[in-house]
Amino acid sequence: MEEKQLTEQESLQLIQQMISRAKNDFVDTGIGPILWGAVITLCSLVQFCIIQFNWELPFDIWLLALIAIIPQIILSVRERRERKAKGWDDDIMGYVWLCFGVGIFLVNFINNVAADTLHPVINDYRELTGKTDAPNFWTFGTSYLLFVYGYPTIVTGAARKFRLMTIGGIVCWVSALISAFSETKVDFLLMALSATLAWLIPGIVLRKKYLAGKNA
Amino acid sequence: MFKDLDPILHSQLRLAVMSLLIGVKEAEFTFIKEKTGSTAGNLSVQISKLKDAGYVEVIKQFKDNYPQTICKITPAGINAFETYVKALQTYLPK
Repeated sequence: MEEKQLTEQESLQLIQQMISRAKNDFVDTGIGPILWGAVITLCSLVQFCIIQFNWELPFDIWLLALIAIIPQIILSVRERRERKAKGWDDDIMGYVWLCFGVGIFLVNFINNVAADTLHPVINDYRELTGKTDAPNFWTFGTSYLLFVYGYPTIVTGAARKFRLMTIGGIVCWVSALISAFSETKVDFLLMALSATLAWLIPGIVLRKKYLAGKNA
Repeated sequence: MFKDLDPILHSQLRLAVMSLLIGVKEAEFTFIKEKTGSTAGNLSVQISKLKDAGYVEVIKQFKDNYPQTICKITPAGINAFETYVKALQTYLPK
């Protein structure tokens, strides 16, 4: 590009072209949503099978979600290092997902404390009444988690004008409502559905867009 | 009535730089060079002109032991760009 005077039409075309070029650079790589969508979907489906088919695993399947934090950190550091421009909402989105991570940890922690406190009471109730189908705490614990899943997903989808992700976030909230009334095993199916629609599928779409932009 | 176009912005490379910077919070010199397809020397001169006009802020720092130049559009730059676009619209056939 050289230093030259422009006509008014050329000026407008140049502005549009440059804004579009900058915009193309801000397509998410999609790896993060794919990673978390896949991990949460897998963990939820395995948890469903553990309850439904009495599967026995030598480890807690949810440890996978804890392990997935490591590649996520590596990916985030690498993406940040490679990115040559920062968008207006990059910091805000970063804070939103950081709060999500802390929120998930807090909800899980509080859920576990509540479950440990309430389960002896529920067990006593079962023994005394003989009602083996009395609900356990996790029937409601998954509702809180699904609510937290939906929050940053809807914010990101709305801010980035990515309707598929917004719809996925709404599915998380609808699932949170349904799971308050459904059995625990169904809750985990709802969680798998929510993770697939909120992160896995939008992640695959983002990845395709990113690769198409890179190869263009 | 036609409005005067800001001479600082009414040149190809400077307008390209401003159009890129309006869409981002900040950008590395290499990003602007890659997107505009200009030479480092010419780009450096044009960015200096924008900086002298108060339209962009240039930050020189080190990243992984390598020098890094970051450019940001200033509030004055945003105003100038908006005024320029409004002035351009007066030239368009209605």
